Amino acid sequence: MDPINFVILACVLFAIGAAAVLVRRNAIIAFMGVELMLNAANLALVAFSRIHGQVDGQVMAFFVMVVAAAEVVVGLAIIIAVFRARQTISLDEPAELKG
Amino acid sequence: MTFTTPAIEWAPTAPFIVVLGAAALAILVEAIVRTPATRRLVQLILSLVALLAALGLVIVQWAMLKGAGTVVLEGMLTVDRQSLAWQAVLLVSGLLGTLLFAARTRAGEEAFASLGAASPGSTEETLARRKGLQVTEVFPLALFAVGGMMLFTSVTDLIFLFVALEVFSLPLYILVALARRRRLLSHEGALKYFLLGAFSSAVFLFGAALLYGATGTTAFAGVGTGIVGASGLDPIILTGAVFVVVGLLFKLGAVPFHSWTPDAYQGAPTPVTAFMGAATKAAAAAALIRVLYVALHPLAWELSWLIWVTAIASMLLGTVVALVQTEIKRMLAYSSIAHAGFILVALAGLPDQAVWALPFYLFVYGLATLGAFAVITQVRERGEDGTVLGEATRLGQWAGLGRRSPWLAGAMALFLLSFAGIPLTAGFVGKFVAFGAAISEGGWPLVLIAVIASAAAAFFYVRLVVLMFLTDVPEDQEDAIAIDYSPLARVVVIVTAVAIVLLGVVPGPVLAAFENAGVLLIGAAG
Amino acid sequence: MVDTVIFWVIAAITVIPAFSLIFARKAVYVAMSIVLVMVGLAAAYITLDAPFLGVVQIVVYTGAVMMLFLFVLMLVGVDRREDMKETLTGQRWIALFGAGGLGAFLIAMVARVSLPVAEEPLVGEPDVIAGVLFERYVLVMEVLGFLLITAAVGALVLTHVPRLKPRKTQLEVQRDRVRVGADPVNKVFPGVYARHNALDVPALDPQGEPIEQSVSRVLKVRNQTQEGAHFRARLDDPSRAGGSDAEHSGRGLSDPERLDPDRLDPDRPDPEGSDREEGR
Repeated sequence: MDPINFVILACVLFAIGAAAVLVRRNAIIAFMGVELMLNAANLALVAFSRIHGQVDGQVMAFFVMVVAAAEVVVGLAIIIAVFRARQTISLDEPAELKG
Repeated sequence: MTFTTPAIEWAPTAPFIVVLGAAALAILVEAIVRTPATRRLVQLILSLVALLAALGLVIVQWAMLKGAGTVVLEGMLTVDRQSLAWQAVLLVSGLLGTLLFAARTRAGEEAFASLGAASPGSTEETLARRKGLQVTEVFPLALFAVGGMMLFTSVTDLIFLFVALEVFSLPLYILVALARRRRLLSHEGALKYFLLGAFSSAVFLFGAALLYGATGTTAFAGVGTGIVGASGLDPIILTGAVFVVVGLLFKLGAVPFHSWTPDAYQGAPTPVTAFMGAATKAAAAAALIRVLYVALHPLAWELSWLIWVTAIASMLLGTVVALVQTEIKRMLAYSSIAHAGFILVALAGLPDQAVWALPFYLFVYGLATLGAFAVITQVRERGEDGTVLGEATRLGQWAGLGRRSPWLAGAMALFLLSFAGIPLTAGFVGKFVAFGAAISEGGWPLVLIAVIASAAAAFFYVRLVVLMFLTDVPEDQEDAIAIDYSPLARVVVIVTAVAIVLLGVVPGPVLAAFENAGVLLIGAAG
Repeated sequence: MVDTVIFWVIAAITVIPAFSLIFARKAVYVAMSIVLVMVGLAAAYITLDAPFLGVVQIVVYTGAVMMLFLFVLMLVGVDRREDMKETLTGQRWIALFGAGGLGAFLIAMVARVSLPVAEEPLVGEPDVIAGVLFERYVLVMEVLGFLLITAAVGALVLTHVPRLKPRKTQLEVQRDRVRVGADPVNKVFPGVYARHNALDVPALDPQGEPIEQSVSRVLKVRNQTQEGAHFRARLDDPSRAGGSDAEHSGRGLSDPERLDPDRLDPDRPDPEGSDREEGR
């Protein structure tokens, strides 16, 4: 099996994640969409790493995991702060900021 | 598996080590010093000392630099004059920003919440306020952000660039959520900033992955040679390049990747807005220059449409929407979007002059931004009982400010005129060199649009100036506005105002220094 | 051949659950689906000669990140359904169309490319990864440390509430309670009628009057309480003694009859059910 197929799989997952960020109004689900996008990038990195026969791509994917974990911590902390203050996590509901 | 200890040139990395190390130390201070008042003082001094020391180290390196610069660790990090110039710009923003962070009103109120976790209006908040708690973590967080941005301007590896991007973004997300007043707006701004920021970094990363796939490396120089040498890989190279650039354009706040800007600018505590507006743009522009000139240079022609389209869209949308804003922080946010367009104008066609014109442009822009937001922190609403409340950010409240406080209004007018690019202010010189760069590569249609947009933008800057000086205070509003006095904020206003005038009248020496920074060291391929 | 099958299995268990991100109503369903996606990706990594990363993927993503998501979902309220109402009509479809276009574009781009695959790839065993990590990427590794500090401090700043009031001793708690009029001693337990399973029956005071507050407030709200008078009447009336009530009292925990539903007397009314009806 040509590893490039995994890159195509990564493209599909990336698009689904992007769609979730654009469509969903629930901040947590949108955030999970971002996580899926990062994972898709990871899959692409690992697949390309296999194609080139190196481990550099895997090391990068490892870094991305660390970064994603840190990002999740901060993101969920912000979401909890918003929820505590307002009892909702919808991105639309309190339109106190508008264009 | 044999392991060879990597040889790292530590000397060029000293400024990063000082800033990030001081940030880590400051976190320890949080744990050790228990009284909030002492802790604030210690944090402030530590931050200022670290930033000054780093600035000193940058200047020493600038003076002692022989040749083009140093490539650290096989092209992971490149410290050349370009990088040093950006570091200096960021450190100055960081210094002035830290002063604003520490500024307090006459009544001793900070810009930040007394307890980040307390929800607005809760008993916890009241108790925390009464006990005099302070979120002194803002100082180390700002240091982390400055350190991350400095790295962002100097790294020459896509994956390291991604890590640096997160290192400076995460503290900013947190800082935006910590406003003392209008907490809900602050939270909402932080949430939007965070989600769009995370989205953009994912886009950037996917682009980096595609470029790695096409070239087998992530070092900028290696990617550049890989692009030239690759055959039949154009689809993923181009897609990857576009994604990488789009990820950076998000941070720059260019249309159509701008939607976080107004919310984050308005919601954030004003000192954070000032720092973010000045420094994030500079860091993003620096990274954009390095990526475009070193890694994606072979694709200059293919990427030029992206730069043209976003530049025109940013200038038009930023200017038009700013015209109808009634909230001063939002107006400046849209003006910053227009400025993102001006920055991109300079990059059209990748002219050599842009490499030194943009650091100067963003230095000037950063000074004016810091000054303008520092003035905003000083104009406050007054309640029925005479207590000083939050900042007066509705444009109408600024009517007649010239009567109330001529010097403050004068400084604000100076910053606005500098944004507009009126001659004898530094903004004019900045725009002059930036647009000159574009013309040198045949970007004159873009420059024409930029000049028209600048003229239109001058309208809403001048409108505010007119409002401040030529409009009377409304009849029943005499006591509605209080001019606050915070020594630290005033220092920032004075320093930035003097710098804007000096750089506008005699830009020569500083421009000459920046011209030296116009050389990018393209390191050995990794 | 085997590779092809593995690829399609992985594609199925990643793409299908991933669609829940767009279509599922409840956030918990989404989170659990994403857990499955993460497991699928771990399998993909192992197939792609990255065994270390596959394990890390399981540990970090399914083990930590997604559990953190679930934890926050529980905190925020699991049953909260998302309002699918659109603020801008058509925005949802435009967004979906745009994302679909992005996906199609990416696939078309990648499908047009053929890259030579390395014959003897370096397998990502832990020691190999560590070698690269601490040689070329050691600076990135060090900078990541600052990122983790930021994350920890950020989470604390945004969510940690320190002790704002001094901790109360048990003595102070007790005094405060008495001051606002609470009984200094324990509340009376309900159910002095030993012949009934009597959490729902008030206790009697020395005068024989029921003490209303001995019955749990919750039962009152649910209308599941009874008045003591009814039982007293039964006790006082010798003609109604014995029978079912006697059986009630005779049944202990050790009674095998209680454990065997088949042996229950069909004529005997269900004590729980009938009591509740009478209570209303």
